[in-house]
Amino acid sequence: MKPLTALSTLILLLTLSACTTTTVDEYRENSTALTLENGERVVVLGRRHYADYETEPDFIDCIGKKLKADKAISVLPEKEFADLLYPWFEPRTAPLGLKRLAKMLDEPLIAQRFKEQGLHYMIWVDGSTETTDRDGSVSCAVAPGGGGCFGFASWEKTGTYEAIIWDLLALKESGRVKVEARGSSYMVAIILPIPIVAQVQDQACDGIGQQLRTFFRKRANEAS
Amino acid sequence: MHIRHVILCSLVLVSLLLSACATRVEVDGKFPAALIHKLPLRSIVVFDEAFANYRFESTEGPEVSISVGQIQVELFTSLTDSLFQYSATTTQMPTNSEADLIIVPNVEDVQISMPNQSRLKVFEVWIKYNLQVFEGTGEPVADWIMTAYGKTPTRFLKSDTEALQQASMVAMRDAGAHFITGFARVPEIRQWLRHRSTPTSTTTPTPEVNTQP
Repeated sequence: MKPLTALSTLILLLTLSACTTTTVDEYRENSTALTLENGERVVVLGRRHYADYETEPDFIDCIGKKLKADKAISVLPEKEFADLLYPWFEPRTAPLGLKRLAKMLDEPLIAQRFKEQGLHYMIWVDGSTETTDRDGSVSCAVAPGGGGCFGFASWEKTGTYEAIIWDLLALKESGRVKVEARGSSYMVAIILPIPIVAQVQDQACDGIGQQLRTFFRKRANEAS
Repeated sequence: MHIRHVILCSLVLVSLLLSACATRVEVDGKFPAALIHKLPLRSIVVFDEAFANYRFESTEGPEVSISVGQIQVELFTSLTDSLFQYSATTTQMPTNSEADLIIVPNVEDVQISMPNQSRLKVFEVWIKYNLQVFEGTGEPVADWIMTAYGKTPTRFLKSDTEALQQASMVAMRDAGAHFITGFARVPEIRQWLRHRSTPTSTTTPTPEVNTQP
């Protein structure tokens, strides 16, 4: 009975201690849902022009997966988009504002490629997940008779991201979503190290992905 | 005999440990065709041996070796195919070529930065090229110092080799973006293109070039 109690306590401890808090803010240009006609697609892109960080490519993939989860929204993968439009959406050349994008779309080759791909919305995601605090330590040692680790360490991660939706046909901003996720992770080591890791980036992706879907989902509901 | 064996084993062990610390990267990948109007020009790109086999070696701190020779040959072949109407490559400077332009790329410098050096969460690669541009007759047109930069974020369980490969590929793509968007904006090249497009010129007219939307 005792092992069962210990296991339950440990599971409870893990669940409580590794949780993440997520705050999502959104701004909409108006209450109208963003419409996607048949064959129209959305592309999600990460900002990569800052010197000290870059939006993680796997985070962008994660948002893409969240958006197309119910198959109502068709998403063009970031890598495929960058290859199709090379070299106009590299960190050096990607437009930072709508005016620059409008100028880019004046070039018939680029405009034609956007049309061929059925692109209606572009979502720019900017931010990253950083370790904001770190405490404690874990030491490991190996000796002829065996080895092990001992200690306790904790670290806190914060993921801050902002997604901005651009309407490529109207050439205007349609809305933005900001998400902040925080989570504490722990490492307990008594002979064996046991990491209890908070999934901060996954939670941020979940938060931003769910919220972005609501911008488009209304149109899907209206259609059904 | 016994001591010899111990020394030999120690040497093997030390060399294994040293090689385990070294990071060796053979950069490979593919580049998409550039979405650009072709310039009505014939070009020849000269890839000399030093360029085609370029390897960056660093012994400061952890030993790092990055081979970029082959991948940059593929990059510049793809770029010139996209930018010029006709393009060919060679390994030696041609004499009395029928091409309009001869491009000789050289690597001036490569620098890398790892998270343990910069305290940032990114691996970074810088490449400085000197692109020498000549007329078909061999007359120099421009020496274009072109820089490229690539970075990739650190990730749990991602090795230094994998991260430097990704950062190098980003730097290569950046070099391509710089080449495509900047070629006709280099003052000497722009002047040369203008001179070709004037009615008094005896060569084939070239329309005004705009590679920057």
